[in-house]
Amino acid sequence: MTAIQTEDLTKFFGDFCAVNGLNIEADKEIFGLLGPNGSGKTTTVLMLTTLLTQDRGTASICGYDTRKDPDKVRSSISYVPQDMAIDTNLTGRENMLFFAKLYGVSNPRDRVDELLEVMELSSRADDLAKTYSGGMRRRLELAEALVHEPEVIFLDEPTLGLDVAARKKIWEHIHALNRKGMTIFVTTHYMDEADRYCDRVGIINHGMIAVLGKPAELKSHLMKDVISVIVNGEYVPVDLEGVLFVGQSGDELSFTAENGREALPTLADALSRAGNSIRAMSLREPTLDDVFLQSVGKQEESTGFEEWKYRLMLRRR
Amino acid sequence: MKGVFTYIQRDFIRWFRYRVGVVSTLVLPAAWLMFVGLALPVEFTGNYLDFITPGILVMTIQTAGISSGSLLMFDKMLGFLNKFLAMPVPRESILVSKILFITLRGILQSTIILVLVILIGATILNPLQYGLIYLILFLFGVFISAFSTTIALYLDDHDSFAAFTAMVTMPLFFTSSAPMPYDVMPDWLCAIAHVNPLSFAIDAIRDLGSGTIPFFSIGLLAVFSVIILCISGYVFRRITV
Repeated sequence: MTAIQTEDLTKFFGDFCAVNGLNIEADKEIFGLLGPNGSGKTTTVLMLTTLLTQDRGTASICGYDTRKDPDKVRSSISYVPQDMAIDTNLTGRENMLFFAKLYGVSNPRDRVDELLEVMELSSRADDLAKTYSGGMRRRLELAEALVHEPEVIFLDEPTLGLDVAARKKIWEHIHALNRKGMTIFVTTHYMDEADRYCDRVGIINHGMIAVLGKPAELKSHLMKDVISVIVNGEYVPVDLEGVLFVGQSGDELSFTAENGREALPTLADALSRAGNSIRAMSLREPTLDDVFLQSVGKQEESTGFEEWKYRLMLRRR
Repeated sequence: MKGVFTYIQRDFIRWFRYRVGVVSTLVLPAAWLMFVGLALPVEFTGNYLDFITPGILVMTIQTAGISSGSLLMFDKMLGFLNKFLAMPVPRESILVSKILFITLRGILQSTIILVLVILIGATILNPLQYGLIYLILFLFGVFISAFSTTIALYLDDHDSFAAFTAMVTMPLFFTSSAPMPYDVMPDWLCAIAHVNPLSFAIDAIRDLGSGTIPFFSIGLLAVFSVIILCISGYVFRRITV
């Protein structure tokens, strides 16, 4: 039975279509849902965790329909939202016990001890959670999510706001859970992390899946090398055989080519001839960022800065 | 209901950890008792302490109930509610536990008032009377905490809710039958006092003190509580679809 399966999952907020005909499947893997802010990631997670009802389509978790069998779905999943909701005036152990009791775990104290040990929190278990670092708080939330041994865990931006070491640790734990057979559904906008740790990723944009597959496969769809170029001013497009324009993020342009070393000087020539002034060029291997850029297109803030709105806002204060 | 006890336990632990909160909820009603009950130079009845005590008891429940409506709203704002809703625990138990927690905490405070007034010379009642006082306070507590929780869920913003709290708390007390008997009130105040829900609870407790059992008032309070609970459940269900 597939752990997560959606068919034509769609959600409207008024006239705005937040999620549009989503078809995804995930089973015993780490599935990463990637996308820019406002692309529908969280809405998708809310529907899969029975917190929001879809307008069209179906979603099933471990074979249970999220609308017909919400209680069975809730028993098989855990959801960790991005807010870091832990009771800071309770100790780590008290936080855990609360969840263990709510889930009706048969031996709450032992289960809590065991999970605190797994998440490397035993030594601080009886300190108030407000003394915990960001990484520890996240691990505490992970531990809470595991008390009833769920089959599927939903993590919304699990590494948001953490330092590099803490992120690495969280991902190691996620990986270890997956090895025990758990399905993990992660949303993130850290491409490098998704690249390194997710088995499969789906890139979502405007509520639709743009690309779906293993990170390595997705990268191999691009050509072998990526040339990134930083230009001064506006980019004047060039057309060069064997070199493909991937996209632009800020003032950085990305091109892909089968043989980057050879393409580099030709591209430089062509760019200069077209009237671009090149500040820097570099050659690298493709990353998930490039895949993202190619599928999502030019990266912009969803609504640009509009001065009159800003002024209006100031006046209203 | 499954989970209600666990949710209440969490709120009590959290409340005890905020020591200032505990002290303030205990000092506030005692201060009202001192200033309104003992220091004000009024003489409506033979024993003003016996007269004012029901008012202070109900007011204690009211203050505790009104201001705590924000508890569920904060759980929602901080992301706890989404976690709870994604659990197999019946969803309504979240709402019920909040209302019960607020009510029980208010009753804890009024117990302190009851002990205080006996110490400073109020008439001691029989166990049945005390039992019925607790029943009235409980029903009123459910009524007021369900009401404020619903308002908070509906407003969905703590600034608006704080403004609402400030607006209703004091007027409700002074337009009730708490500070003075109906026969010394000006007519306009008397009219308002008769429809003020605080008065129902206060009058019921006064009736108890004078020896009658106010079945009608208790029944009415129960009906009101059930109605507000239903509205509360409806609003709660609407925000959690």
